[in-house]
Amino acid sequence: MSDNEIIRCQDLHFSYPNGLEALKNINLTISRGEYVAFVGQNGSGKTTLVKHFNGLLKPTQGSVQVFGEETRGKKVSALARKVGYVFQNPDDMLFCSSVEEEVAYGPTMLGFEAAEVKEKVESILQELGLVAHKETHPFALSLGDRQRLAVACVLSLDPEVFAFDEPTTGQDYFGGESIMELVDQLHDKGKTILIITHDMPLVAEHAHRVVVINQGQIALDGTPKDVFSQTEYLRTLSLRSPQVTLLAQNLGLKDRTVLNIEEMVAWLEKEYLPAPKKVTGGIA
Amino acid sequence: MMNIDFASLSSPLQKLDGRTKLIALLGIFILALLFSQPYYVLGLLVLVLVIWWIGRLPWNLIKTILQFLLVIAIIILVVQIFFYPGKTNLVHISAPIKFIGFSGYITLEGLMFGIAMVLRLVVIMIVAPLMVMTTPLPEFMVALVKLKVPYRFAFIMTTALSLLPSIQNHAAIIQQAQLCRGITNFENKNLVTKLRAMAGLLVPLILGTFRDSQTLDVAMSSRAFGAPVKRTFLLESRLSAVDYIILVTTVLLLVAGIYLRIRGYGAL
Amino acid sequence: MTTPKPDLQPQPVDQPTKQRTWKARGRILSMPISVLAIWAALYIAASAIPALPVPGMGGMITLNAIMTAISGMILGPAAALANAAGGIVGMLLYPYGFSAGPLGFLTVTLGGLVAGLLFADRWLLAAILEVLVIGAWFVNPAARQTGMWLVPLPYSAIALIVILVKPIRVWIRKSILTLHKVYMWPAVFLMVCVGHSVEYLTTNDMVNWMYKLTWQYWVPTLPYWIGVDTVIILVSTAVGVGVLVGLRKARLPQFADTLEK
Repeated sequence: MSDNEIIRCQDLHFSYPNGLEALKNINLTISRGEYVAFVGQNGSGKTTLVKHFNGLLKPTQGSVQVFGEETRGKKVSALARKVGYVFQNPDDMLFCSSVEEEVAYGPTMLGFEAAEVKEKVESILQELGLVAHKETHPFALSLGDRQRLAVACVLSLDPEVFAFDEPTTGQDYFGGESIMELVDQLHDKGKTILIITHDMPLVAEHAHRVVVINQGQIALDGTPKDVFSQTEYLRTLSLRSPQVTLLAQNLGLKDRTVLNIEEMVAWLEKEYLPAPKKVTGGIA
Repeated sequence: MMNIDFASLSSPLQKLDGRTKLIALLGIFILALLFSQPYYVLGLLVLVLVIWWIGRLPWNLIKTILQFLLVIAIIILVVQIFFYPGKTNLVHISAPIKFIGFSGYITLEGLMFGIAMVLRLVVIMIVAPLMVMTTPLPEFMVALVKLKVPYRFAFIMTTALSLLPSIQNHAAIIQQAQLCRGITNFENKNLVTKLRAMAGLLVPLILGTFRDSQTLDVAMSSRAFGAPVKRTFLLESRLSAVDYIILVTTVLLLVAGIYLRIRGYGAL
Repeated sequence: MTTPKPDLQPQPVDQPTKQRTWKARGRILSMPISVLAIWAALYIAASAIPALPVPGMGGMITLNAIMTAISGMILGPAAALANAAGGIVGMLLYPYGFSAGPLGFLTVTLGGLVAGLLFADRWLLAAILEVLVIGAWFVNPAARQTGMWLVPLPYSAIALIVILVKPIRVWIRKSILTLHKVYMWPAVFLMVCVGHSVEYLTTNDMVNWMYKLTWQYWVPTLPYWIGVDTVIILVSTAVGVGVLVGLRKARLPQFADTLEK
């Protein structure tokens, strides 16, 4: 395993205690600095898969290696320092009585000196725009701020990998944008990002790699352009490319994939409008 | 332990009305407390076991219950054998040790009383599963209401039960989330640390559940909860002939028991 | 078409209405039934989780001990009903936490009731109940034996003092209602003492009365019980403070909302 490959699954199989086989034959490698989105139907196994990366779940067969070491036999709390996991509902992660306390909790538990902890907390709060809320009780914050706080808590452990479970589900457009901006910032800093999501436009806009999970197996694995160009196949998996992509395809664009509005506008201006073709099919 | 599969258990006791079983349970409970003579309590235990057999309930459950009670049973027995102020001395153990109240002998009365108390414990602990395993919770609720327990109280119980699975699910997620924050308490073997971990889980669980269920109040109101009308239940429960027979028998046994006690029988 | 029943017809505005409003029907003792049901559900979930072993009581002390201890402060007197509901169902589903037989749920009911009454400032009722519970211990002839009088100590004694001594009562209520940063902790501690000691002593009353255990059992085991109680009370204090503060900050319903500050 090269130094750059930080997560590796080999012949991973996972079944729940009640016998339900959730993952079959997963072979996957993730390298440092990647920005990966895991998509798939409900129940396809995407969350199950990502939970293997920090030891919340251990394989029933096969192996999962994180930073060169097997996850079997390792405690979640130990792996949490390398692979951070931000839960969908931030309230599940919070339990202190002030923002400052929450962010300080992790480093304090890890044994950092009080002065170091204070410094860390300050810088993290600055980064995430929560300084104004330092003394506020977490439950008095808005949902968006609580999400930021949850990210701050994971950030305080300084992991290299950040996994986000449905970061935009249940949010409005601006809430979603805000959190994704944060995720992008983390990526720019060199963190490896894993996102579990249903939000296709999000994937198209932000992810560099898409892994499509279907019934416990990897169905597609490639760049967003590659994956979303396969509209028919995705439909059989009950998944849909972003609307923009579908619209472009129906307007006759065959050789490329449009991922977002900017690309769409550019294509329309340069190529389509000068020579419009007949529309085939709908967007549905 | 008590999450039983009612469908697989086909027991005559299931045909009885919930009220009958509740009253019979109460009757047996009172009888167990009335008598302290081991033979009487033994008779009661035999009765309970016969009912268990009629009910076709699993015998290994009795074994589990007995294992569960083993330590307290031994303690009760030991305390009574050595320290009950009995008159008939059986076995001489040592010189009297005044400061712990030991007379130096194991007395017959002590032995008998100890056995009676243990038997009483067993009867009380077996009678409850008899009821629980043969009555699905909805029937139990209806029985309570028919026995004049206020409907709103029964409603609290049924609603609580329906909220339970999602709370347990939530608790598991919170535990995972805390592990992901590097909290090691759950993985610790130390009891006190574990307790602290549990406590740390309770606060977000309680707050989170309150938050998630805020709409429950609105939902209830919008479905006319509390309207001043007579309620009809989906589950009809009527008393059959067998129910009446059992109810009458229970009352007769109780009367007989009280009479015997008044006349001085049944107690040491 | 049938005419609506008289009590469903709207009342004229200027006539004082004797019937309860729709809103009030959804509440018992000022707490919405939905909240009581939620508490009962949490209670049942807590009954499933063993926390401390109980030597000789054939079971474990489960997390619902914490729930009982804090219920009075959070729900007021209605805690009795919520605990009873949770206790009955919890007893049916997870019997290993309940050793006092089928009437065991009464212990947690009283625990919530006394603490709740105290919090609602119905201290006289609380005092009467506390005296009854302590009295029940001493009424039992076995209790006149050597050293048995020690068993209700120290927490029941603390509870009685807290209920009867007015300045302490007032201070506790004020500290909790204002979420005072420092005083809240000892105030919650004392309330938890009340809630837990009532439950604990009632359980002992029942067990002693049912199985006639003697001082040779109660007195030697007393150090262990006091230790267990102390742990539970300390942990419950932490949980209680967390929940009270959290509920207020998140503007979620709690009994304190219905009180004047």
